[in-house]
Amino acid sequence: MKKIVVENLKYRYPGTSELALDDISFEIEEGEFISIIGRNNAGKSTLCQALVGLVPHFFKGAYGGQVKIDGIEVGNSELHEIVAKVGYVFQDPYTQITGSKLSVEEEVAFGLENRGVPREEMIDRIYHTLKLLGIFEHKDKNPYELSGGQMQRLAIASIIALNPEVIVLDEPTSQLDPQGSEEVFQAIQNLSQQGMTVVLVEHKMEKIAQYSDRVLLIDKGKLIDFDTPAKIFSREDLLNYGVHPPVYTQICQQLGKHKDGVYPVTFDEAYELLVKSYV
Amino acid sequence: MQSMSLYVEKDTFVHRIDPISKIFYIIASIAISFILQTFTITIICLVINLILLLTGRVFKNVLPLIGYSSLVLVTIVIIQGLFNPGNKTALFELGPLTFYTEGLKFAALICLRVINILCAFSVLILTTRPSNLIEELIRKGVSPKIGYVLSSVLQIIPQMVSTMGKITDAQRARGMETEGNLFKRIKAFIPLIGPVVMSSLIQTRERAMALEVRGFSSPSKRTFFNQRHTHRYGIYIQALLILVTIAAVVWRIIE
Repeated sequence: MKKIVVENLKYRYPGTSELALDDISFEIEEGEFISIIGRNNAGKSTLCQALVGLVPHFFKGAYGGQVKIDGIEVGNSELHEIVAKVGYVFQDPYTQITGSKLSVEEEVAFGLENRGVPREEMIDRIYHTLKLLGIFEHKDKNPYELSGGQMQRLAIASIIALNPEVIVLDEPTSQLDPQGSEEVFQAIQNLSQQGMTVVLVEHKMEKIAQYSDRVLLIDKGKLIDFDTPAKIFSREDLLNYGVHPPVYTQICQQLGKHKDGVYPVTFDEAYELLVKSYV
Repeated sequence: MQSMSLYVEKDTFVHRIDPISKIFYIIASIAISFILQTFTITIICLVINLILLLTGRVFKNVLPLIGYSSLVLVTIVIIQGLFNPGNKTALFELGPLTFYTEGLKFAALICLRVINILCAFSVLILTTRPSNLIEELIRKGVSPKIGYVLSSVLQIIPQMVSTMGKITDAQRARGMETEGNLFKRIKAFIPLIGPVVMSSLIQTRERAMALEVRGFSSPSKRTFFNQRHTHRYGIYIQALLILVTIAAVVWRIIE
């Protein structure tokens, strides 16, 4: 089933002359794990904001084309209707803390209270997501006392607790150490396997290759390619778009080792191919 | 974590009374002292306030509040003592100035009332956790948006202060003088204003988006994570306070 349908999406920020999004069209199936890659300023965050309706409801400006989530057209709906379906995790965890709650558990409760979720269910969901993201032991702390990484997990937990059908994450692991990012990626993959549709902006290509079903490459507001990680990272012109493929892919490219023109993108694939050829 | 509030965490009888009953109490205490304009009634109200503050073990926290207001109170005493239109009987002379009994009596009543108002509010503010108070108000129909503004101010202002500290450190690291005499400090303060205001504005916009994404403007009926802060006798306390206030009004009319 098609979960997200984007048709000829164009958008220009107020007071600018260049299009931030230029005629973008793609479709995402329910339960897919999609990553968006591209250089800084390519339009990744703007595209994410268009999926959750902040473009055009929060950022005004010239808007054209259509974004449909589950058949609901984002441009013509109220923001609160869209955010009931789509969760959005911002880049900066600090500004996502409401500032009105005194403990981590109350902070996660904020969105649930707004939605009118009954108290018993609320407590179940809060404890479940806090455990899922490994910050349950901090539940009574003031949110501002958390470290950057813990705050980032809290920001993700606050959205996951809302049980959205689609979750959009804009660099959710920028402040996490390798171990922490791995845990967050696994938590997201779990949700994706339970049927949640995931759209992720990331710069960690190894992780993207490992977890994504498909990768969306954009540059200067235009959609360049939308395909499997293997196909995208095997493109010879990838560097022109400011993207370095995963190191495993780079090694195999140097050695000229590929399988039917497609280079391996994960550790396991590369290992298997190299062992086959050299041992 | 520094939070901007006067709340004193203790477990006493006064702390356990629910916020709404305390609001009723403030209204009753202030209204009665104004409706029945006698010394006796005002002093009774004040004594009740002081007893509540003492049982709440927050009495010494009220003293600085009264201290701050003393400047205004002293001014009232001087002006009323000298210039009240009803002044007839001279009480004492201080150089060329004559203080009159009528004016000083009137000033004393005003001072008692002001201290009474301060103490009544202190019973609420010093013994009630701000978040509980705001949550109860939202339950009683205050808009959640106003509730958010009230509760976020308590936390966001200390956050702004810490942002200011970070920016000062950054400027000092690049060789700016921030210590020394008053003039140097003022000079160091001005370049701070721009970055602090700008970063707060940007953060506010992002925070507004983050709130929207979490359904802040959702029209559904809100629920609450925390349980209600009610008191077993809350309803009786409120009824009693209303009755006493009505009785005061009736007494005033009969008189």
